[in-house]
Amino acid sequence: MSAAAQIGDLSFVHQGAGLPALDHVSLMVPAGESTALLGPSGAGKTTLLALLDGRLRGWRGRVSVLGAPLDPDHPPPRAGRPEVGFIFQEFALVERSSVLRNVLNGRLGRMSPVRAALGSPLPRDLEVARAALADCGIADLAERRVDSLSGGQRQRVAIARCLAQEPRLILADEPVSNLDPARAAEILTLLTGAARARGATVLFSSHQPDLARRFADRIVGMRDGRIAFDVAVGDLSDVATADLYRETTALPAIGLRAVT
Amino acid sequence: MRSRGFGGFAAGALVAGAVLWSFATTDVDLSRLLSAGPRIADFLGRMVPPDPTVMNEILKGSAETLRIAILGSLGAVLLSVPLGILASETMVSPVLYRPVRTLLAFIRAIPLILVAMLMVGAVGLGPLPGIIAVAFHATGMLAKFYAEAIDGVSRAPIAALESAGAGPLARLRYAIWPQMAPVVARDTIFRFELNLRESLILGIVGAGGIGFYIQTYVRSFQYDKAASMTLAVIAMVIAIEAINVALRRRFA
Ligand SMILES: Nc1ncnc2c1ncn2[C@@H]1O[C@H](COP(=O)(O)OP(=O)(O)OP(=O)(O)O)[C@@H](O)[C@H]1O
Ligand SMILES: [Mg+2]
Repeated sequence: MSAAAQIGDLSFVHQGAGLPALDHVSLMVPAGESTALLGPSGAGKTTLLALLDGRLRGWRGRVSVLGAPLDPDHPPPRAGRPEVGFIFQEFALVERSSVLRNVLNGRLGRMSPVRAALGSPLPRDLEVARAALADCGIADLAERRVDSLSGGQRQRVAIARCLAQEPRLILADEPVSNLDPARAAEILTLLTGAARARGATVLFSSHQPDLARRFADRIVGMRDGRIAFDVAVGDLSDVATADLYRETTALPAIGLRAVT
Repeated sequence: MRSRGFGGFAAGALVAGAVLWSFATTDVDLSRLLSAGPRIADFLGRMVPPDPTVMNEILKGSAETLRIAILGSLGAVLLSVPLGILASETMVSPVLYRPVRTLLAFIRAIPLILVAMLMVGAVGLGPLPGIIAVAFHATGMLAKFYAEAIDGVSRAPIAALESAGAGPLARLRYAIWPQMAPVVARDTIFRFELNLRESLILGIVGAGGIGFYIQTYVRSFQYDKAASMTLAVIAMVIAIEAINVALRRRFA
């Protein structure tokens, strides 16, 4: 099984923070699968995802993403950045721009710098953007301004922008934390479905074990910057899932035992 | 409580002292003060009826004031773009933005009429010193506003575009500018309104526009003509205000 991301003995302390946000983390994210990063608030999920996206400096350990090693001291080369897509916890959309413009923004890294700055997308860019909108069920919202959308609609725009980027690895930071349970299942269905259709790997964070179990092939538990467990969903019994739930909500950090 | 009571007493004493000092050192002769009322009434009496024959001068003066405000504002915008960037916390280092901000505060502290007087001295009478003065004076405020517009932009969408591989120009165009544009438009219109208002009187020091005629007529005792010009200024201020209200509604 090839790895979309390979992490060895990774530690990271945020600037000005006392405790490490990541504490000797080792992890393999299998390519072509969907992996859930499960953990309570402050576990280090956002930190780990941002680091894999090449946005953090000054960490220690070995990290390679899509076969290329990351440099702890320098940002990754721009050419490779579209390969890794990121769906932000707070969406990070340009509020005053249209939905289509926001989705086209996901194409900027795929265009030549001149074309990107001039703002003249090729027919292929428009085609990919329209397809992403359709896959996210928001084709009819293309001309709407983002600041007029609901939370669920914004989440779809954020996913569409990421898909338009045509990434091979999709990092999604709590893509459904702001949604009601029915909406959450809908969004995860379309995210994991679109990724599978494109042969992309998904790593999404969540603090809801039921969603992780339903939409991931693999669940990685995190707590206090450490990996608490790493299991294939097929191996999980109901009892183990209940334990999982306790694992991510209860206070004392204990390893997962009920796995076979 | 005690310290507040003392503070109140100290403030009262300070105000009383300032008033007494002004009285004692200004030559406010009681008889002159009493005759001031009738003299002002007489002066105003000579202003009515306003002389309507100066319509031509009104149009010429207003057009020149408008030109001064437009070109002065253009100059201020051109100066404020680079200075606004240099005064921004998020674009340059403190070593640069601190002195630039101090410079802008210094520019704001000089009244426009004073700049205009200096410019008349430097380049002579006419609209040119007015334009230079407006451009200089307005830059003190506009560059500060532009810097604040840059710094007020939300960072998350910029980081998102960077993560997608967008270069600096593309980020500027699609993440920074869309957020800034309404603020920049609003601030620029606001400053233009101030420029128009303030340049109405620039002619008094010889820097062109409608104020020049008012000053000329007052000095040659043609008060009825000065009155017409003054009414024209009032009408222009009201018109500017009305247009501004309409624009604000559209931007809201
Ligand atoms: N910019 C920062 N500066 C300092 N400390 C930070 C910063 N960002 C995160 N941390 C700290 O690092 C730890 C991990 O935070 P992180 O945001 O990765 O957690 P998370 O699992 O994503 O939590 P949540 O579910 O609330 O999003 C926390 O203790 C947090 O306080
Ligand atoms: Mg987080």
